[in-house]
Amino acid sequence: MTETQTRAAAFADFVAGERAVLTRVSVCLLAEGLELAQPDGQSVIWRWAELRAEPDQADKDALVISRSGDKVARLYLRDKNVKAQVRTRAPHLKKRDRAISVPKLVTWAGGAAASVAAIIFVLVPMMAAQLAVLLPPEGEKALGDTTFEQIRMALDETGLAGAAICEAPAGNAAMQAMYDRLNPASDLPYDIQIHILDHDMVNAFALPGGRIVFFRGLIEQAENPEEVAAVLAHEIGHVVNRDPTRDALRSAGSLGVLGLLFGDFAGGTIALFLANQLINASYSQSAEAVADDYAHELLDKAGVSPAALGTMFERLLAEHGDAEGIVAHFMSHPQMGERIAAAQAAVVEGQTYGSILEADAWRSLQTVCGGTSAVQSDQDLPDKKPWPGDD
Amino acid sequence: MPPASLNITYSGRKGPMLGLALRTGLLTILTLGFYRFWAKTRLRRYYWSAIRPGGIPLEYVGDPLEKLLGFLVAVVFMAFYIGIVNLLLMYVSFALLNGNVAAYLLSFVGLAPIVFFAQYRARRYILARTRWRGIRFGLEPGAWGYAWRAMVHWGLAIVTLGLAWPLTTLWLEKYRISHTYYGDQVFVQGGRRGMLFGSMKHIYYPLGLSVIAGGMTAAFENPAWIAAFVLTVPWFVYGLAYWRADSFKRMTETKELGAMRFRTFPRPGKIVGIYALGWFLIYLVFTGLTLIAMGILLAAVGGAGFDIENPDQIEMMLAAGTPVLVFVYFVIFLGYRAMTHAWITLPIAAHFAEVTQILNAEDLHEITQRDRDEFAEAEGFAEALDVGAAI
Repeated sequence: MTETQTRAAAFADFVAGERAVLTRVSVCLLAEGLELAQPDGQSVIWRWAELRAEPDQADKDALVISRSGDKVARLYLRDKNVKAQVRTRAPHLKKRDRAISVPKLVTWAGGAAASVAAIIFVLVPMMAAQLAVLLPPEGEKALGDTTFEQIRMALDETGLAGAAICEAPAGNAAMQAMYDRLNPASDLPYDIQIHILDHDMVNAFALPGGRIVFFRGLIEQAENPEEVAAVLAHEIGHVVNRDPTRDALRSAGSLGVLGLLFGDFAGGTIALFLANQLINASYSQSAEAVADDYAHELLDKAGVSPAALGTMFERLLAEHGDAEGIVAHFMSHPQMGERIAAAQAAVVEGQTYGSILEADAWRSLQTVCGGTSAVQSDQDLPDKKPWPGDD
Repeated sequence: MPPASLNITYSGRKGPMLGLALRTGLLTILTLGFYRFWAKTRLRRYYWSAIRPGGIPLEYVGDPLEKLLGFLVAVVFMAFYIGIVNLLLMYVSFALLNGNVAAYLLSFVGLAPIVFFAQYRARRYILARTRWRGIRFGLEPGAWGYAWRAMVHWGLAIVTLGLAWPLTTLWLEKYRISHTYYGDQVFVQGGRRGMLFGSMKHIYYPLGLSVIAGGMTAAFENPAWIAAFVLTVPWFVYGLAYWRADSFKRMTETKELGAMRFRTFPRPGKIVGIYALGWFLIYLVFTGLTLIAMGILLAAVGGAGFDIENPDQIEMMLAAGTPVLVFVYFVIFLGYRAMTHAWITLPIAAHFAEVTQILNAEDLHEITQRDRDEFAEAEGFAEALDVGAAI
């Protein structure tokens, strides 16, 4: 090129952005910046500090230069020497000039957050609560069938067949016997179906349409049949209050909104699922108290001490006291403590309470999944999930 | 004065695109999807700048923050719609129809006009942020007009089992193109109603033949008919590529921009080849990764003295496996996306660009700039509905 660093010259394509005209300009490197001389003799100087390079360009041979403050003019530099000079001398080549004001962005972000929060935490739950009561029993059952299959599939690690249902007739008959003793039929538009799934989790939950699901882990962990009956009564409470139906409707609404927020950054499903779980756990806390109250009453009527629900919670609290993770955050200990206290307070003075199952029926319930005994389960406690505290 | 005809050169390369797609995809996953506005913008900058009519690259000047803002705007409105509508559809489908499928179908029909609306708005944003020779492209407002026309024409295509698809394509292209501007010059889409039916011939023929051959096979069990039936599959695949190439050719060569015309010679064989090679490479990479992963797994298992009879060890393996599975999921997701960009989207774009020519470009310099289309919502609605452009 030329001899002096300051006046090294080359030609480059230039568009001013007024007409679709391509101009061949001569480019000179001056101390203060690039001088662009038009063929007609006019020239402008783009100062070094004003130069910006367009990023992510496919053509590595050309440097597309714009000038801060001028939105449309572009210089297409191909000359190696001049490109190198520009790269070393322009201090803000990679800076991006922001066109959007931060306050505006913050305002809309706030608006979006408020709108999403209002919909997920107020509007959708409110509508779900209303509609859950209106849904006809057949609709609820169809909803429950769908959810049940989905949950079974989700629990099975191989993802092929779904978690196995424990079929042992004696154990299931024992469970049914407990249900008959509790006898909540008058509160329900449909019969309750109880399933026991072969899974380690210490949990039980209710589904729409009167399905109640126990995990083997919970039955093995229980010390006596009354504790299982207490959990059963609690889940029946959820069914009576339509909590599962409300939950399903609500998650249909909130999942849609969350899908909107996350886009499909990773196929989406994982993040959606986790986020919805978070909302779920915090949402059902108030419903728990109602289900507890219902359980106390039902147990009392059936001649079983309501304190059984408390002892179940208590031992779980003692064993998984320092519960880890997100679940622990939402099932805060004070609340668990209150629930235990409430169960004990529900014991009616002077009432005598009996057992709900004969010893051999209890044994067949504990081995309903073909396992040997409850003793073994105590050894692998660390594997178990803490009691999630809700349906 | 520009030359009478301009060739389009393509400067995008597979390697850099693979790198860019991997980097932006990784950042998107690490930021829980937040980076996707930047990712999309950066990919577009690359794709746009690769296309160089007359040697001057197109430029995409969209601002990621602007896209984020548009998304937030859309969330404020769409969260309400999606949350409530999803919930109501779920309720209606279970209350009246006892099933889930109906809800999806209903929501699809309910969303259709909004999807078309959003697609048009997204196109408007993208064109408004596209420049060549410093001059902006643009799309006139008309999203609702587009939405109802699209509903009618799609309805027609669906009613005729897709036979009227060429008509649908042309009509909608006419609407879009006649609202499209380069600077102050409007585009015109010519072509008579029946123009695109010829492009579908290699889809119609194999379909017709497969119906005949299928019927004959069922009736006579003659192996020749079975062979004919099997042969219609590759013919149909070729037909899809032929449709893509030939419909592009017919529509491009009947487009007008002032005095300018366009010539293009896309080759169906080349399109089939790009897809075949792309998918083969993707298959090869995933097979290789699987083999390597299996090797590592076997080495690890062998080294630890794994005992297949020991259930405790199996449980430990499963516990350790979960984060590995999540990792594998992300690798597959990320890798597939990046490889599709590099080995399919980019070569296809390259082919269409390189076979296209602009004719009668002498008066290009008379085209003047158009005003910037401030468009606060950007392509937020399309983003929210996930119906935006593929890139």
